[in-house]
Amino acid sequence: MASIVRPTLLRQSCLKVATKKAFSTKPSPTFPAINKPLSSVVSKDAVRSRFMKEAVPSSMRVAAFHATGRRPILPPLPQSVNGTANEPAPVPDPSPTHGSYHWTFERLVSAGLVPLTIAPFAAGSLNPMTDAVLCGAILIHSHIGFEAVLIDYIPDKRLPKTRKAFMWALKLATVVVGVGLYEFETNDVGLTEAIKRVWKA
Amino acid sequence: MASLRTTSRLFKAARPAFKSQIRTIAIGNTNSTAHPVDPSKTSTIKEPAADPDSKIKTFHIYRWNPDEPSTKPRMQSYTLDLNKTGPMVLDALIRIKNEVDPTLTFRRSCREGICGSCAMNIDGVNTLACLCRIPTDTKAESKIYPLPHTYVVKDIVPDLTQFYKQYKSIQPYLQRSTPAPDGKEYRQSKEERKKLDGMYECILCACCSTSCPSYWWNSEEYLGPAVLMQSYRWIADSRDEKKEARKAQLDNSMSLYRCHTILNCSRTCPKGLNPGLAIAEIKKEMAF
Repeated sequence: MASIVRPTLLRQSCLKVATKKAFSTKPSPTFPAINKPLSSVVSKDAVRSRFMKEAVPSSMRVAAFHATGRRPILPPLPQSVNGTANEPAPVPDPSPTHGSYHWTFERLVSAGLVPLTIAPFAAGSLNPMTDAVLCGAILIHSHIGFEAVLIDYIPDKRLPKTRKAFMWALKLATVVVGVGLYEFETNDVGLTEAIKRVWKA
Repeated sequence: MASLRTTSRLFKAARPAFKSQIRTIAIGNTNSTAHPVDPSKTSTIKEPAADPDSKIKTFHIYRWNPDEPSTKPRMQSYTLDLNKTGPMVLDALIRIKNEVDPTLTFRRSCREGICGSCAMNIDGVNTLACLCRIPTDTKAESKIYPLPHTYVVKDIVPDLTQFYKQYKSIQPYLQRSTPAPDGKEYRQSKEERKKLDGMYECILCACCSTSCPSYWWNSEEYLGPAVLMQSYRWIADSRDEKKEARKAQLDNSMSLYRCHTILNCSRTCPKGLNPGLAIAEIKKEMAF
């Protein structure tokens, strides 16, 4: 009965008003908690808005902040079993260049970077050769690191084209950085000296 | 709407107060006619009162029913008196299933941490429900989920098909072609046997594999800590003669080298084993 007298009490009408407001990007007086502090709103509006907020589900309130809906990155696919449940998972062909050799090389570069980073500052002398070796090691180290990130997060089976594109982009980026470092080493002061100057600046 | 009620219903609503009034009068009289049976000839069983020192704890449990695939998974809350429940989370689950909600589904078998059936995520940690004590702090509510990043069969039962298939792919059995020197058994020195300690105890509950972020992202190709530790259990076994073949199986970018030494596996293992160390040993053996 009361709903006839005050149509705002009806849940449907509330929802309609609320959704219209919630999806608009303009600041609205019906959402004072979101758009401006409560104290600046007149009391009648405040009472109504509190009621509205309860009627609006939280997902819609979140939508007020975002122009587009939620889009999860790579949502899991439905389960698919390769063969029957009793068959073993397929074993990939051995390729040490991507396996053990790669790992050993990566560890050697990582371990080598520690003395290479300390040496120029500890020795106090700036040798262009150590500088060049340091630049090369950093370049290889970061290339391997980013490669691992791509392998982890862009599954080859699911997104083969994206994986390929990102791998080529990484190679390009490494070459660009390499050329840049070479230019910096030959035409400018060099990496160690630059860090030294920035440190003291 | 109140105007639509009949007067009799209005009266009914007011009746309890009226009734209690009558009762107080009757008790006040202490007249034997008020009792249908004389109090000296009968005994009264009172309604069980809530135990004042009961320890009520709330459990939030993940529920999903495959019979209703369109309904979203939800959390269901159950309250239990810890004084009437066993000490472990599995006791609580069994009590819920027996006394509160028989539709709750979970795996369990041995209830003493040797079968690995009741692996689940309790308060954010993968563990065996039978080895996990219920936190006695009744204010904190416990949350129970299935193992993370697994396909769910029902409620807290995960699908471990891929895990078992991967375990099968490492050929977890003794392989040798030369017969035993004495023709009886394959002998091992004490030191050689000692290498297997900390690996043969694994019960394959999948707690470690499902806690590994790398396994979450690449479970199709990366073997995961549990299977890799079992692989090393056979690589380290002095009686096994297929060491090189076993290592060659792992020598690619995905099977082994997706391990980034996050070490969630060693932290979560309910049996206190160290899969992270086993993986590091494999990497070391394969390095040069």
